[in-house]
Amino acid sequence: MRVHGLREELEHQGISRRDFLAFCASMAAVLGLPASAGPAIAAAVENEQKPILIWLEFQDCAGNTESLLRAGHPTVADLILDSISLSYHETLMAAAGSQAEQALTQAVRDNAGKYIALIEGSIPSDADGAYCMIGGKSALQIAREICGGAAATIAVGTCASFGGIPAARPNPTGALSVADAVPGVKNLINMSACPANAENITALIVYYLTLKRWPPLDQYRRPLFAYGKSIHDNCERRAHFDAGQYVDAWGDEAHRHGHCLYKMGCKGPATSQNCPVVRWNEGTNWPIGCGHPCIGCAEPNFWDTMTPFYQRLPNVAGFDVGSWVDPVGLGLTGLVAAAAVAHGVGEIVRHRIGSKASSEDGSEAE
Amino acid sequence: MSSMAIARSKNTDVERLYIWELPVRLTHWLNFFSIIVLSATGYYIGHPFISVAGLARDHFVMGTVRVIHMYAAIVFTLSVLVRIYWMFVGNDYARLTQLIPFRRERFRSFWKTAMFYSFMRREAEENAGHDALAGSGYAMIFGVYLLLIATGLALYTVDVSPSSPFQVFNFLIPLFEGLQMARLIHHICMWIVLIFAVIHIYFVLLASVAERTATFDSIVSGYKFLSRRKVGIS
Repeated sequence: MRVHGLREELEHQGISRRDFLAFCASMAAVLGLPASAGPAIAAAVENEQKPILIWLEFQDCAGNTESLLRAGHPTVADLILDSISLSYHETLMAAAGSQAEQALTQAVRDNAGKYIALIEGSIPSDADGAYCMIGGKSALQIAREICGGAAATIAVGTCASFGGIPAARPNPTGALSVADAVPGVKNLINMSACPANAENITALIVYYLTLKRWPPLDQYRRPLFAYGKSIHDNCERRAHFDAGQYVDAWGDEAHRHGHCLYKMGCKGPATSQNCPVVRWNEGTNWPIGCGHPCIGCAEPNFWDTMTPFYQRLPNVAGFDVGSWVDPVGLGLTGLVAAAAVAHGVGEIVRHRIGSKASSEDGSEAE
Repeated sequence: MSSMAIARSKNTDVERLYIWELPVRLTHWLNFFSIIVLSATGYYIGHPFISVAGLARDHFVMGTVRVIHMYAAIVFTLSVLVRIYWMFVGNDYARLTQLIPFRRERFRSFWKTAMFYSFMRREAEENAGHDALAGSGYAMIFGVYLLLIATGLALYTVDVSPSSPFQVFNFLIPLFEGLQMARLIHHICMWIVLIFAVIHIYFVLLASVAERTATFDSIVSGYKFLSRRKVGIS
């Protein structure tokens, strides 16, 4: 095993001790720990037996793999995940064909009950799983086999966490999340978002290495350190929301001033993730930071309920409800008021006829 | 001399009867005012039609509107809960049996009133409490109130910290298929309530004017003027 190879590996890649400690401090920050936790993280990452990671891709676009790799220079995180621990990764490994299958079988056999399965992509269940077959086995079979023998399963990205885009209506392949495809899976952790933020995946592994347990989760089994607060609550434009300063059209003055994108359909108020804090591409920027509303990609059913992306309210399948619910509500209220007035006129007429009839009756009686 | 004797001495069978107890009237008016505030602030929250210029630190328009919305929501929620409690412990006119036509004569009253309103019946049904049609309307609107409260609480859970006691309501979010659907239902329900309000006010006015039972005033005073013969009180 290359347990003690990390330091040499880092040096070989031109990453100094200082860079490594800076990485550990940044991990502490992502996890919401004080900077003093940095050395403990460094010790854990350097010295601990690395967990064996097995990364499987099913019905996906490899976007989470791309997110993890992040073009550009290799970082400490890449090295920890790729070089040290990743035993099987379809996109990254050199092996192919039956060699690759052998590598997987061996990694699973040698580390039964100890490895961590990372699943990318949803798992199609219709047509006996024929929509996604690898080496003659369906994704459903593979997932049940691999996740069943894992110490923990990490669903990477929204597809694996909640079904994502493949599971959006009408879900032609019967796509399932890992939780639904592998009932009773042990220690499942959902790292949703489209794609999942590499920073958070790395932080999750580092958390496990340092504290020997998995972090507290929210009701969707997502770690609270990354999904505990809404985008809206940590948004750098929140002051503009509370003040009442909104972008009304792309490129208008408010947009150029960096005002709130709420009226442009921003789903920050309905989405929980730490994007405003951790950002993307090594902290370069994030969607709202460059003037685009949040599309709510980290939430279950996001393709069905967060669309249209540039509209406040969602559409309901078959009805274009979202855009017209308020105008129609206003119109109906007016219509009902008019109907009430008309009914009132009817009542007056009835009353008149009634009193005329009774007075006629009266005259007849006399 | 009892009031009955006075009524009789005046040769009329109209009697002043205590119908709406204090909790019924109080929650009615708390609902009335909170619904107005909630609808106005809610409309702004959904469609912020006022945009302010200048520095963000100088304004707090949306912030203020949202705070008012939350406080009004607390009043509304508690008022609705008290009224629902009173459906089980209040007098006969406040009870659930007045709202949902369980019994056969209530079911018949439902159709009689519907026929009267659609000009297919000459005479109005006179009820001491609600007519069965109105009662069903109120049962429906209390369902909508509960839906508004539930969607509101679901939306509120993302507003508060993960350790807030309000997080007990986050189980509601998946029931509505996510926060966006909860938001949509919240909007639709507001319009149902406002449409209901128009119909409600109109029919109460109608009952007050056409039937001369002082229905309109009764929600303030608690008393209605009823014909003992028609209502069936001896």
